Amino acid sequence: MHEVSIAQGMLDIALDYCGKNGYSVIKSITVKIGKAAGVVPDSLQFAFESLKTETIAQNATLIIDEVPVAGTCNDCGKHFTVDEAYVIQCPLCGSLSFKLETGRELNISELEVE
Amino acid sequence: MKVKVVTNILEANERIAAENRKRFDDAGVFVMNVLSGPGAGKTSLLERTIQELSGKMKIGVIEGDIAGADDAERIDKLGIPVVQINTGGGCHLDASMITGVLEDLPPLRELDLLIIENVGNLVCPAEFNLGEHMKVMLLSLAEGHDKPLKYPMMFQTSTALVLNKIDLLPYIDVDVAKIRKDSLSLNQHLKIFEVSCKTGQGIREWTDWVQTLIK
Repeated sequence: MHEVSIAQGMLDIALDYCGKNGYSVIKSITVKIGKAAGVVPDSLQFAFESLKTETIAQNATLIIDEVPVAGTCNDCGKHFTVDEAYVIQCPLCGSLSFKLETGRELNISELEVE
Repeated sequence: MKVKVVTNILEANERIAAENRKRFDDAGVFVMNVLSGPGAGKTSLLERTIQELSGKMKIGVIEGDIAGADDAERIDKLGIPVVQINTGGGCHLDASMITGVLEDLPPLRELDLLIIENVGNLVCPAEFNLGEHMKVMLLSLAEGHDKPLKYPMMFQTSTALVLNKIDLLPYIDVDVAKIRKDSLSLNQHLKIFEVSCKTGQGIREWTDWVQTLIK
């Protein structure tokens, strides 16, 4: 629901980095988004397209790397990976109690600049 | 040229939240962030909590709403310092919005408890730290017993769950035991209260607990 503010945060980080390091064009921004981060990739893409105009990222592409959800179950102790984005359960014992290791990322990982 | 710039996109919010938290800790004020869907009774819970505790401590309130000042007016009537944030369509409060209104409250060191009423929404407010000491989730029973499993993050990130409108129990088909069981499965440390902000039932137990958190 707040993909616009996330896209703006992402763009601000990229523009700030380029300003400080003397780059004048952003060709691509790669982000790692965990599947359980509560972000809809299409909405993020859409928000990015509208926000990038009239910036040095106006021709940039947004590359979204989705990170799978993985964790360790607090009840059966097993390590698991699931394809679920929002309501996560241990696929082995059904427990709702777990420690997530990946899946909640919301990071910029790489910029392609000139 | 490709450059590695590994940065958390919400880092700006986390950084500002940490600054807010330091200000709260330095001033010795306990901060509670109240989350719920629209209409669960957040403002009513605030009114009841204030009525119960305002004789014992100094309370301030930050009201978050998409638009309007109805909630702030209700708190103002109780003689409590209150500031309204309008997010103008935004679905949650973020840390910088809190920083922006702290000057409009009495100096923090004069307060014991600062209550932040977040925007009514069962999804986004759970994602943004404001610098608070705890999140409290409010669920009204008429919303249904399926909510913990449909909106797990709210329950996972909260310290306490307040179940409101228990006076409606005779009239609605809701399985309170299931709400308790699913909520505790999601968050085994969750402290659960059953209240009616309309009749006042259970309010004392809730405010007694809140009081134990405030030094």
